[in-house]
Amino acid sequence: MKIQKIILWCLSGLVGACLLGLGLTPAHAEPEKKADQKAGPKKLTGAELYAINCNRCHPERYATEFTSAQWKTIMLHMRVRANLPAAQAKEVLKYLQEDSGN
Amino acid sequence: MKIPSLILSAAAAACVLGVALPPRAAAMISDEDFNALKSAVTNQDQRIGQQDQRIGQLEKLHEQDQQTHEQDQQTIHQLEQRLGETQQLATNAEQKAESAARIQPVHPVPSGAMSALHNFTMVGDAEVQFGKSQGQHSTFALADFAPIFLLRANDNVLFEAGFDVTLQNNTDSSGNPNGGSSTVVSLSFAQLDYLLNDYVMIVAGDMVLPLGTYSERAAGWLNKIPDNPLSRDLLPGSGVGAQLRGAVPVGQSGQMVTYSVYGANGPSSTDGTGASGMLDLGGNVGDTPNLHSDPSGGGRIGWFFPWKAHYDVELGVSGQSGVWDNAGKRQWSAAVLDAAVHISPYFEVKGEYINTWVQTDDIGTMHPNGGWVQAGYKLAGLNLDLPVVNDIELVSRYDVMNDGLGTKTDRVTAGFVYYLTNTLLFEGDYEWLHSRGPAALPSNEFVVQLSYGF
Repeated sequence: MKIQKIILWCLSGLVGACLLGLGLTPAHAEPEKKADQKAGPKKLTGAELYAINCNRCHPERYATEFTSAQWKTIMLHMRVRANLPAAQAKEVLKYLQEDSGN
Repeated sequence: MKIPSLILSAAAAACVLGVALPPRAAAMISDEDFNALKSAVTNQDQRIGQQDQRIGQLEKLHEQDQQTHEQDQQTIHQLEQRLGETQQLATNAEQKAESAARIQPVHPVPSGAMSALHNFTMVGDAEVQFGKSQGQHSTFALADFAPIFLLRANDNVLFEAGFDVTLQNNTDSSGNPNGGSSTVVSLSFAQLDYLLNDYVMIVAGDMVLPLGTYSERAAGWLNKIPDNPLSRDLLPGSGVGAQLRGAVPVGQSGQMVTYSVYGANGPSSTDGTGASGMLDLGGNVGDTPNLHSDPSGGGRIGWFFPWKAHYDVELGVSGQSGVWDNAGKRQWSAAVLDAAVHISPYFEVKGEYINTWVQTDDIGTMHPNGGWVQAGYKLAGLNLDLPVVNDIELVSRYDVMNDGLGTKTDRVTAGFVYYLTNTLLFEGDYEWLHSRGPAALPSNEFVVQLSYGF
C-alpha cells in the first residue's frame, strides 16, 4: 500500500506540473495575441519541429539519407518510440520527404 | 448504122478502161510523205516497245503484291489464333476469379498495393570496443551488432524487431574458456504497433518498456558513453505484453503531454521462490503460462516543453508493479523519475532516479535504488572555428547504485565523442569506480568505442 501511495503521489505531482504548464501558457501568450490578433498563434514548420524533436535524442539525420518510402517507415517507428503527436510527425515527415534521397 | 455502133462500143470500152485503170498521176507517193510515214511507223514501234516494258514491270509488281498478300493472310491467321488463345485465357482467369471470390472472404488490401518488402527498412547500430580494466588484460571486442527491422504494412501498422548479435568465447561448465567462440543472437524487442488514431497507439509483443527514457531513446549508439548506467540493471529492458500510448499536443509551440500504459508478464523468480537474490527481471517471456498468477501493470506520463528549437525541458514519471514469485505473494515495484534539459544545440543534461521495492520471503522488503545524471557539451559552441575541435563533444556522467543486498557502487565517467560523421562516432572514456560490499564490481576502466548508426 505504501508503494502504491508513493506512485500515486508521483503521478499526481507530474499531472499537477502538466496542468500548471497548461495554465501558464495562455497567460504568456496573451500579450502577443493583443499585439497581433490577426496573425494568431504561429504554426511551427516541419523544419522547426524536426529541430525541436529529433536532435534531442540523436544526431540529426539528413533527409537525403533515406528514400521517401523509407522516411515514411522510419517516422512511423519514431512516432511510436518517441511518442510524437500525429500532426507533428506528419509535418516532420513532409519536411524530410521534400529532400529525400532516391 | 453499123458505124455508130462501133463508135459507141469504142467509147464504152474507153470508158471502162478509164474507170478500171486509175490515173497514173493519183498512184504516185512523194518522198516526203514516204519519209513521214516511215518516221510515224518507227515511233509506233518504239512506243509499243515501251508499253511492253511497262507491262513487264507491272506483271512483276503484281507478283510481288500477290506474295505480300499471301504473307498478310498468314499473319492474320496467326493473329486470329492468338486472339482466340487470349480470349480463352481471359475466360479462364475470370472463371477462376469468380470461383475464388465465392470461396474466400475479401480482405482490405494495404494502400498503395505495394509488397511488404517495399516498405521494409533496416536501421540500427554496430559497435566495436577496445577496453582495459585495472588488473586485467586489454581486449578488442565486437561489442554489438544491433539491427532493427521495420516492416510497414500501411500508414497505421508497423512491425519492428531489434536484435543484438555478439561474440563470446566458448566456456566450460565452470565458466573457463575451452576454445572456439559462439555467436549470441538475442531478441531485444519485437512489437506490433497499430496507430488507432492521432492520440492512441496500440503496441503488443515484446515491448521496450517505458520505464524512464533510457531504454527507448538512449541505448546503443544514441548514448554518448559506451557503458549503460549501472542503475538500469534494476529495471527490465523489455517485457511481453500490450500497451496503449500516445501524445497530446498543447498549443502550437511543440509542447506536449505523453502517456504510456501497459500490462506485461512482469518479472519472475529464478527458483520460483520469493527468496532474496532470486528476482529475475529478464525472464517470464516464453510461450509457457505466466510463472505467477497475475501480470504486472505500469506506465509513464511525461511533459515536454520546448520554448524554441534546441531549448527544451522534459519531465517524466513512470512505474511498474506486480508479483514476481511463483506463489504470487511477493510484489516487485519500481518508480522512475526522468528529466532532460537542452540549452542551445551544444549543451544537454539528463538523468534518471530509480527506486524499486522487492518483497522477499527472507529479509522483508529490499530497496534497490540508483540514479544517474549525464551532461554533454559540444565544443562547436565555443565558435573556435577549428575543424577537429568543432566535432568533439565532452561528456561526463555520475551514476550510483545500491543493489539492496549490501553492495553500493558509485562511478564517475569522463569522456568524449568525436563525430566523424553524423552517424559514425568515436567515443572514449575513463571510469572511476568505487564499489564496496559482497558483490563489489571490478575497478577503474578505460574504454574506446567506434559506433555506427545506420
